[in-house]
Amino acid sequence: MNEHSPMATDWEATTHRRLAQVWIDFESALVQVPVIARLLSGKLRQEDYLSLLRNLRQQVIEGSRWIALASSNLTPANEDLRSLFLSHAQDEHRDFRMLEKNYVAAGGALEDIQSAEKNVGSEALSGFMYHAASKSDPIGLLGAMFIIEGLGNRFAGPWAKLVREQLDLGEDAVSFFAYHGENDEHHMEEFDEAVKLAATDEASSASIVKHAKVVARLYRLQVEELDNV
Amino acid sequence: MRDAYITGAGQFLPGDPVDNSRMIGHIGRLSPRAERLGRLVLRQNGIKTRHYAMRPDGTTDWTVAKMAAEAVGAALDDAGLDRKAATYLAAATTQNDFLVPGFASGVHAASGLGPIELASHQSVCASAMMAFKSAWLNVRAGEHDAALAVGGEFSSRYFRPDHYRGTATVEADDTLPGDAEFLRWTLSDGAAAIVIEPERPRKGLSLRIDWFSLRSFADRFAPCMTGGAVLGEDEITPWSHLPGKAAGEGAFQLRQDVDALYRMLPVWMGDFLRQVDEGRVVPDEVDWFLCHFSAKSLRDEMVRLATKAGAMIPEERWFTNLYDKGNVGAASIYLLIDDFLKSGRARPGQKILCAVPESGQCIMAFAGMTVMAGRDE
Repeated sequence: MNEHSPMATDWEATTHRRLAQVWIDFESALVQVPVIARLLSGKLRQEDYLSLLRNLRQQVIEGSRWIALASSNLTPANEDLRSLFLSHAQDEHRDFRMLEKNYVAAGGALEDIQSAEKNVGSEALSGFMYHAASKSDPIGLLGAMFIIEGLGNRFAGPWAKLVREQLDLGEDAVSFFAYHGENDEHHMEEFDEAVKLAATDEASSASIVKHAKVVARLYRLQVEELDNV
Repeated sequence: MRDAYITGAGQFLPGDPVDNSRMIGHIGRLSPRAERLGRLVLRQNGIKTRHYAMRPDGTTDWTVAKMAAEAVGAALDDAGLDRKAATYLAAATTQNDFLVPGFASGVHAASGLGPIELASHQSVCASAMMAFKSAWLNVRAGEHDAALAVGGEFSSRYFRPDHYRGTATVEADDTLPGDAEFLRWTLSDGAAAIVIEPERPRKGLSLRIDWFSLRSFADRFAPCMTGGAVLGEDEITPWSHLPGKAAGEGAFQLRQDVDALYRMLPVWMGDFLRQVDEGRVVPDEVDWFLCHFSAKSLRDEMVRLATKAGAMIPEERWFTNLYDKGNVGAASIYLLIDDFLKSGRARPGQKILCAVPESGQCIMAFAGMTVMAGRDE
């Protein structure tokens, strides 16, 4: 028999386990969304890619803003998390410019992407993010980061490659995806650190997982509702 | 419901072990380029020896039903059970000898058993787990007092060059697409069986079956391993929809979409994490992990994912026989159980976890068991 005695719940591992299951369901569902299914099966059209960039720009702009808002609501009890949130917001607050350059390089007109509204899915996603970031000590938002950074870490690199191959575009048209594919690895490492700090009991673990579930569903809604503004 | 125990196990592997340098003789030569790809596949899967029911000259004395019947006999002998005592037979295979009738009928006919109830289960590796559950439940429910579950494969017969030459699949230099070539270097032949009874033997070890889980994820995956299908640009067509043309289109070749296989890994792992979260599996308390996997590279990836999620079963507790017995599909989990019971490593009280991922259209199956001492011990 084993010499192991049952240990107290390891909330860090429990949270990673739950998040892994949220991610798996998210990934399985996302690859069935029409535009992503076309990308993965080699049938992406130029208009698909332009539409994706147009519809992502608003969310990317809001992204660093809600992280900044969340950091202002983190009390000194969560000092290390606040540092992480702040540096994260700074890392990403100009990313939307990359999207605009990609849009033009892929054959779109700059004014089209700059004047694009949030689609109905982006509205829901943004609404939830600001609502969550406005609460005191919103550590559950780590779950939101897990989904967004996970997308960058796992999908952005392969997507950049697939888009280039299928649409015969240069680096300058896919730099937003390529950059996140290369750089979100260290964000995931920071995220693992943050979970260690934040997931200390059932309540904090459940909150992180709940936020991940909601953001996973709303992100997918955003990609399902392209140009439905 | 009664408890039920695995009271015996047996296997049949045709011929002597065939090492990597001799295997090409059994599956047949296509082209130098095909063999280069084969060496790469062998590096990834780590298999050193396997068994083939096909002679190098392309003849055989075997069918999959005959091999499975040999395994059934070995399992009954191991349990010390008279052939008349077994009244239920659940049989599993990926590709039966015939399209019609069912596999269990062929095994029954070759086994020398009297009239019995039977069930044919057809899937890929997880078909063995379907048969396992059906035998287990029949004993638990009191329908039968001795049930057999058997899995067998005779893959090598489909890998002979004559099944490929002259079809649309083969390129001018006799090279196959990767998804067809991959399996030629991965799968091999054999059969294994278990006996399930409602009582432990007086002497000797048995395995009490504690829980069972099987989940299909075909809601999110297209077929990933196919046979009898014509693979088009966008859709998969059943062979029957192309009368007279299916064979020429390569419909009867076994194919594996390797990229899709790696996309299934996190889903399989997620189902494992669900078992942990719902309390059926406590990783620290698993004494032996009998995991069927098809390649060392897949195993390495599983280890990476499980470690990150804090659900890793330490590698010294993984029991495997892939490297010397090969990947025998529906026979694999029974081969693992049989080899484990005869390894001398089983001790009363140990917790055993069986895991069988299937790439066909994505299934993940588990069984939890406890090693039991004999009633008089």
